[in-house]
Amino acid sequence: MEILKEKDREKLIEIFKKIDKDVKIVMFTQEMECPHCEMTRMMLEEVSGLSDKLSLEVHDFVAEAELAKKYGVDKIPATVLFGDRDYGIRFYGVPAGYEFNVLIQDIMDVGKRDPGLSKEVMSELAKVDRPVHLQVLISPT
Amino acid sequence: MDFPTFSLDTSLLEKAKEPEPEVTYDLLILGGGPAAMSAAVYATRKMMNLAIITKDFGGQVRETSEIENWLGFQSINAKDLVDSFDEHVKSFDIPVSLGTATTQVNKEADTFKVRTDNGKIYSSRALILATGKRHRPLKVPGEKELVGRGVAYCATCDAPLFKDKKVVVAGGGNSAFTTAIDLLKVGAEVTLVNFSKGWRADAALQERVKQTDKVRLFDYHQVVTIEGKERVTAVVVKNREDEKEEKLDTDGIFVEIGLSPNNEPVKNLVKLNEHGEVIVDCSCRTSVEGLFGAGDVTAVPHKQIVIAAGEGAKAALSAYNYLINKSLL
Repeated sequence: MEILKEKDREKLIEIFKKIDKDVKIVMFTQEMECPHCEMTRMMLEEVSGLSDKLSLEVHDFVAEAELAKKYGVDKIPATVLFGDRDYGIRFYGVPAGYEFNVLIQDIMDVGKRDPGLSKEVMSELAKVDRPVHLQVLISPT
Repeated sequence: MDFPTFSLDTSLLEKAKEPEPEVTYDLLILGGGPAAMSAAVYATRKMMNLAIITKDFGGQVRETSEIENWLGFQSINAKDLVDSFDEHVKSFDIPVSLGTATTQVNKEADTFKVRTDNGKIYSSRALILATGKRHRPLKVPGEKELVGRGVAYCATCDAPLFKDKKVVVAGGGNSAFTTAIDLLKVGAEVTLVNFSKGWRADAALQERVKQTDKVRLFDYHQVVTIEGKERVTAVVVKNREDEKEEKLDTDGIFVEIGLSPNNEPVKNLVKLNEHGEVIVDCSCRTSVEGLFGAGDVTAVPHKQIVIAAGEGAKAALSAYNYLINKSLL
């Protein structure tokens, strides 16, 4: 079953051409997949197949509990984006609806190694001197 | 259960190119509301080399919730409508200087020079001014200092923040009463303060507001100061008849005393009417050759989305004719 619309798939192929560095997507699900885990995995399989800069690793949250712990993943479905390092980006739940665009934007930012923020914002952020845990709670409507 | 869908909206993903100060564009469009966006669509289709300079896209439509007079839709969410405009405009890859306000427009020979608040100067052969209008401030002590901390100008955006609170609404026309209705819906206690004598809102709106017991009406009163340190705590009003002042404890104040045109960049360049609106003819031409006006910043009556969009289209086509006739294109 294909998740993405044909038109969107074509657009994504074009958009992903702007990525010049590798992005590794790590997804945590489990053997007995809940519908949302399955949906997320299938979407990520499709998305990661649209550019050779993208790769996908799927892990089992239960069988690979140590790995999940290492990534700080405590619930599923979880999607983690890596570039040269772990930028701390985590999506929990299905990045559906509007949030799908946020996921794609994050893939682009990681792929370009550029969060697209202004110099002023970057220099303000550079002043942050301790770990900050930002959580954005959204509804899929 | 229904599976959620994955809907791609490329307008959210792709940052437009920045305009280049070195280039003399065929057309610069100032503004980002329906007039400017419609002008951009028409100008692109005429293969004009153009750029847009704007603070943001959507204009005042973003401050509305539902639109019920956009042809083809019995009702459409304002954000959805603006997003569809946005996607349409962005599909053309037009350079956009976003978050930028124009400070000054000059004409040097056949070239317009547009100075912006980011210190850049852009050039073009023709120009469309579609900078719209903005809420008029009260210009009283405390207003500027407490914007966003109790002082508000957009009921659609901010009324929900005043659930079950006490709120003053300054104004006596339709927008003041619509704001009062929005606030009453969220359980706020509303005090309307009208500077002039007599309420000017449509009778139907007045009736809806006046029938509740959660409204106080201060006619022929002036807002003197807005008080509060961290947030608005009180508003002082003065009875314009007997000059007596009264302090009203409140959690916020909505300023709904009308709109003023964003004419600052051209006010020394083009002819304006007594309200400061840019005077245009039926081809959207201003008093300056090559400079066209569209939308709410102009003197064209009836500030409506469909009219702004139509005027924007007209301005773009007129700009095209101007450039062709002058052999500038």
